Amino acid sequence: MNALSRLVLAAAAATALSPLSAQAQDVQITYLTHWAPDTVALLEDAATAYSAGNPDVSISVRAVPFGDLLTTIRSGGSDGPTIASIYDLWLPALVKDGVVAPAPDSVAADVTSNWPAGIAAAASVNGEVYGIPNEINVYALNYNKKLLEEAGIASPPSTWDELKDAAAKLTDESVGRQGFGVINSWAAGVVHPFSSLLVSNGGQLIADGEPQLDSQQALETFQLYADLIESGSTVAAMGTADANTTGPFLDNFVSGKTGMIIMANWWESALKGGMGDSFDNIGTAPIPVGPSGDTARSISYSWQTVVNAGAEPAQQEAAWDFLAWLNGPESGKNGASAMADILQSMGILPSRSSDVETYKDALERPFLEGYVSTLANAQGFPIVLGGQEFSEALQQTLEQLQYGQITPAEAQANAQADAVSILERAAQ
Amino acid sequence: MTLSRSRTIWVMLTPAVALIGVFILVPMVLTIWLSFHEWSTQTGFGTAKFVGLRNFEDIFGPISVGRDFKRAYLNTAIYTCLSVAIILPLSVLLGLLVHQSRVTGGNVLRTVLFSTYMVPMIAVALVWSKLYSPTEGPINQMLSWVGIGPQPWLSSPDTALFSIVILNVWQQIGYFTVLVIAGLTQIPTSLYEAARIDGANRIQGFFGVTLPLLRRTLLFSTVIGVINAVQVFEPVALITQGGPANATNVLTFHIRRVGIERAQGGLGSAMAVTLMLSLIVAIILIFALARQKEDRR
Repeated sequence: MNALSRLVLAAAAATALSPLSAQAQDVQITYLTHWAPDTVALLEDAATAYSAGNPDVSISVRAVPFGDLLTTIRSGGSDGPTIASIYDLWLPALVKDGVVAPAPDSVAADVTSNWPAGIAAAASVNGEVYGIPNEINVYALNYNKKLLEEAGIASPPSTWDELKDAAAKLTDESVGRQGFGVINSWAAGVVHPFSSLLVSNGGQLIADGEPQLDSQQALETFQLYADLIESGSTVAAMGTADANTTGPFLDNFVSGKTGMIIMANWWESALKGGMGDSFDNIGTAPIPVGPSGDTARSISYSWQTVVNAGAEPAQQEAAWDFLAWLNGPESGKNGASAMADILQSMGILPSRSSDVETYKDALERPFLEGYVSTLANAQGFPIVLGGQEFSEALQQTLEQLQYGQITPAEAQANAQADAVSILERAAQ
Repeated sequence: MTLSRSRTIWVMLTPAVALIGVFILVPMVLTIWLSFHEWSTQTGFGTAKFVGLRNFEDIFGPISVGRDFKRAYLNTAIYTCLSVAIILPLSVLLGLLVHQSRVTGGNVLRTVLFSTYMVPMIAVALVWSKLYSPTEGPINQMLSWVGIGPQPWLSSPDTALFSIVILNVWQQIGYFTVLVIAGLTQIPTSLYEAARIDGANRIQGFFGVTLPLLRRTLLFSTVIGVINAVQVFEPVALITQGGPANATNVLTFHIRRVGIERAQGGLGSAMAVTLMLSLIVAIILIFALARQKEDRR
């Protein structure tokens, strides 16, 4: 048999066998996330485990930087990923544009009965469930214990006056160290810490759909930023983040060039990766209370997985079944969901009630304990139509303030006018 | 012209005209039409609602939509002017150096120069973001050897855009140098000999012979340089995301954010139309300027 004959035979065999292989895995679904490679590997393991019990479904996982996630979801259309991990702020707009599919009744019932009401509400629009919540994040003060000790600060600041005082003591220009770090070039990274300080000062971003940035509490929060910058305790140029939400801001904190930051719990894995054994040196404390606030509060937000409304019905069915399994108590260790196991590998708080119970002991470890205790007084970041644009507009205003381009009063006026305009337009 | 010849011309032209019509004219007309509508990019064109000039009012207005657009427009203009102003003279200088047949290793130098143009932007962006790192970046370390303190590069609104320009110049210079070398090879050596016999020195030869005869090459380089610079996207998307404080937000990145991320197709189209008109005006001005100089001669 010559080479050509062998080739023809091989092609014939491949053609004859192809229907069998197609039948073996006749539903292919894709899962889009922004997680790092290590975490993607864990998700792929879970997908493989699911496919072992469901040989007709194959799942491929794709990861993009956080900065490209929403664009990838929107530009994909019906050919886009079957499953996408989204930030809850994006849900109303994606529902309005018909990008995501409503959850089937069984999944909706699971979400409303097995997740806390507030988190289930963040996965719903007009009472209809569109996603399965997974991670929940909350903001707290992170501080470098060693630096605080060296500066003679006995305990982390609990008020804004103490925050300014501690930041000034920690600042040391001769070694290029700032006392308190703020982020730029990343919308959520800029807006969430500001919002945490605002709610800890008794204010709000949006209430009943109306922007509240013209309040005295908001002005005081803008002023706090200006004071920290003016005193040199905060150096705006040390806070740049990149599309992967890392960059100089993270580098400066892990290398001890920033004394304190306000950040969410999901950074645990990034901090551990950057600091190694020195990670134990990081402490967590509630957000300091402002002059108009009564108690330490914070901002929380959740992530969820949604299904592409343009996917084939068989793909949608397989996607929901996989997600229900992934987030259900049968897929993980010791009664936890496989999703909770993945989230805990990054230090992220799971949101399913049974997962919280299963991971109760793990959530009491020193770094996370500070976050878990903050959850009780945390307010959900407002989820409204136009929320992403609102967030990006506020980011620009805050960055202008950080770089001394505008005054606190101008920042407040711009932020309120932008918010009113954006929310009005989005509601039309 | 006979009827059959006219028919033949049409038959030959139709495929090209049809392709241009489908892939260039239709999208352009559609973009212009959408710029007068409110439309979500996630829905069909049938859902577009006519809003007249409102999108254009908004992008030039005082609220965040307008502020961000105007800043992106200004950034793009600065980026384009700086890029072209640096690349053109530098490419002529490098072209003259490499074109010298007596230079040892001239071919190697040409290859090295052009190689930067072949490196994928993702690699360029990754490397340069590390080079610019304020604390561990090699550029700041090298500056410290000569007593210059650390520079903020991408971390400051004052220097971030210029840092992106440097990156662009580094990547594009090889391509433009090759264009200049191609132009230099077209200049007859007899002209230099004649100039030398007339007593012209090297500098006079450059301004009297080289530069005038490179005019068309430089015009082409300018037009391509402007078009390339206006389309800058990757370094911003990969490194700075338009920050800090909107300092590197350029039009293509901003249009993508508005048109795709926020799905505001009408606003995005109005921005794209403004960019297209500005580019057309800039190119016409460049040609008019070049023609004016040619007429003077």
